[in-house]
Amino acid sequence: MEKEKVLNRSLPRVTGTQRFIRNVKQSRILLLMCLPAVIFFFVFSYMPMPGAYIAFTNFQYNKGIWGSPFVGLQNFRFLFISGQLSLLLKNTVLYNLAFIVVGNVVQLAFAIMLNEVRNRYFVKVTQSLMFLPYFISDVLVSLLVYNLLNYDYGFVSNLVRSAGGVMPKLYQNAGAWPVIIVLVNLWKGTGYGTVVYFAAITGIDTSMMEAAQIDGANGWQRIRYITLPCLKPTVVILFLFAIGGILKGNFGLFYNLVGNNSMLFGTTDIIETYVYRAMMNSFNFAQSSAVGLFQSVVGFFIVLGANALVKRIEPDMALF
Amino acid sequence: MKKLVALLLAVMMIAALLPIVASADEPVTITYLVTGDIPTNRTDEVLAMINEKLIEKVGAKLEIRWIEWTDWTTNYNLAIATQSGDIDLVGTATDWLDAWPNTQKGGFLPLSEEMLKEYAPLTWAAIPADHWEKCKFNGEIYLIPEDQYAQWTNHGFMYRGDWAAEAGLADGVHSWDDLGKYLAYVKENKPDVIPWDADGNGSSYSQQMSGGWQTSHTGNIYIEGMGVDLFYGESAENPYTLSTYYLDSDEFVNFAKTMKSWADAGYWRTDVLNYTGDVAAEMKEGTTAARQHHTETWTGFRTEMENAQPGSDLGFFWFGEEMGNVVTLNITHGAMAIASSSKNPEKALQVYDLLRNDPELYQLMMYGIPGEMYTLDDNGYIARPEGWDEAVMGCTFNWWWGRNDGIGLRAADRDWETIDKLYAVYNEKAVTYPYGQFIFDRTNVSMYLDNLSNVYNTYMPRIVFGMVEDPEAYVAEYRAALKAAGIDLVMEEIQRQLDAVYAK
Repeated sequence: MEKEKVLNRSLPRVTGTQRFIRNVKQSRILLLMCLPAVIFFFVFSYMPMPGAYIAFTNFQYNKGIWGSPFVGLQNFRFLFISGQLSLLLKNTVLYNLAFIVVGNVVQLAFAIMLNEVRNRYFVKVTQSLMFLPYFISDVLVSLLVYNLLNYDYGFVSNLVRSAGGVMPKLYQNAGAWPVIIVLVNLWKGTGYGTVVYFAAITGIDTSMMEAAQIDGANGWQRIRYITLPCLKPTVVILFLFAIGGILKGNFGLFYNLVGNNSMLFGTTDIIETYVYRAMMNSFNFAQSSAVGLFQSVVGFFIVLGANALVKRIEPDMALF
Repeated sequence: MKKLVALLLAVMMIAALLPIVASADEPVTITYLVTGDIPTNRTDEVLAMINEKLIEKVGAKLEIRWIEWTDWTTNYNLAIATQSGDIDLVGTATDWLDAWPNTQKGGFLPLSEEMLKEYAPLTWAAIPADHWEKCKFNGEIYLIPEDQYAQWTNHGFMYRGDWAAEAGLADGVHSWDDLGKYLAYVKENKPDVIPWDADGNGSSYSQQMSGGWQTSHTGNIYIEGMGVDLFYGESAENPYTLSTYYLDSDEFVNFAKTMKSWADAGYWRTDVLNYTGDVAAEMKEGTTAARQHHTETWTGFRTEMENAQPGSDLGFFWFGEEMGNVVTLNITHGAMAIASSSKNPEKALQVYDLLRNDPELYQLMMYGIPGEMYTLDDNGYIARPEGWDEAVMGCTFNWWWGRNDGIGLRAADRDWETIDKLYAVYNEKAVTYPYGQFIFDRTNVSMYLDNLSNVYNTYMPRIVFGMVEDPEAYVAEYRAALKAAGIDLVMEEIQRQLDAVYAK
């Protein structure tokens, strides 16, 4: 170490800026490829960030964010005095955990299965079909679900009845909805996540597979000892990304599936739907921004915590 | 390279200056913000004709910015909140659009008397002083009211007169009791018809249904623009005392019980709270027997039903009929405001003044090209050509912020004899909306109002559609939740502000 420093000093003087320019020149293609993402996040995530100040103001349209009177934490209070916060937090977090865990397991499983299939056309067609629900809007999804499950005329209800069974009144049964919502979310998201994992699998060094084959590993063993361990970094990174949004619910999905049916709220009310119900008539930017800021700040600390945890166990896989 | 850069810069500067140079004689564009789906009929053609006249008369032309019905409340308020000189005229309302909250948040421009007198002289002269009073906030005028147009938007139920007669209601449906009998008859005798196939998804029926029962069984009067529909005045004789109907009235329990019995009887779907359907379309197909909406809707729908189901004789049971409890429409149910960031408020007022008062322009906008899109019959009513389809052949401006009976025309296809009969009853019974000067300032209680909004939207849909085991217990639970959310504090504040405006 010491030696290196000395050596460096004795070399012809290369200033920091010169080195920087040289590095930029060397990696210009890589940098260029990063540029769209950098611009995207700068414009849509960093530039609006100072605007979060709106959460601390009594926002006036004609005075703008910076000219509106400062009111401190006033806008955060309504969420806390509602008496609903613990239920909302519980539902929001549990649903997101279920989405993350169940979603990733299923996506991984499908990606591995697709990888084992040798018929390329079959893989392509399956992938496309699985991807399709991702593009269906939540409004349509809710209509589909209603037409399948509604008690009087639903497709499933008719099926159950014609088979001599008794159809439960699902739209009056809060207990059924965690299952339904997780299933719907799986149906929508599996195709998308599978593609990510499938791509990661394709990136695994084939020589390892061949070596394992020569050593006599069967298909199951190859998955267990090569594919899964190689996917671990991807899983961890995706998990860390997902966990930052653990306090943010998918409003479109929940609102469309449940609507104003308060018989289901016990198991389906998340922060977003509550905020909508409370503020649908008051259109209060500042208060809704306060809720968003609260979710983001908590999410930020959860990511930091999770990352620290990962760093302890497996330092190479941490984000930073 | 340098030359190229210099050239580019020069071109850009010229391009930037061009509009300024060119605009010297160009007409000013006035953008009109309005709710409604972008029309696909001949609106643009009619707009061009209107603009020709506007340019000639005041050197301005109109451009329409539509807020489509999908998520309209949000998008409408967002357009006002994020304005940057891109809107001028804003169609608004104090009940169904947030005119006052937007005024309080600085979305609209205060209109001085001098401005109105100079740039909207006809409008200024036509609106009486006490009407202007109702458009003031902190002593300044912000809204131009639609006060020269008679309409009734009080809610009720549309029902088929032919089926009511079969049910033994020869006179039609005139009370909630009658309505119950009518729905029961349909359920019993029309196996393919859902008596009222309500689209209960969303919370739109809470206020109408519950308030409907309330005005039919008490003298209570609805106070609009509060954000949560829990606040009513006691009666026409005592309007400035708040009613405690939602906290302690037995009538509300009766309502919950009746709706429970209707739900159990199957007058609507089991899963009504998640159903999104088109009641009007179903009614025209003959698969449902009732539709809940307001009088104005009924006047047009009666004709549509007569065409779709000949002999259906669509009747209207208006909420409050049993008690004769009906209130005239507030004059700011429709109103025009000027956006606070408007660069040409004077021109905007001139355009509004013409569209509201100039017979030629007004009729062009409201009914289309004369001779081609309509002719006048012997009564002076508008007759449309054979095979008329408004959505294809007509023009749509959704001008609900300055209609004018003085230069307006009636549609020949409406059943004016029946309609006028109902209007006569209204005119006889109605009291003037008593809260026209009351603009609620929610600052002190906004937190509690938001939590009340949540409680209201959680409990009311289930009460309204009878989706409860024990209505009495559920109402008690609801009342406890309202108390917990701070309804007492809010009512105290409203009462205080009411007293301040209408000091006894």
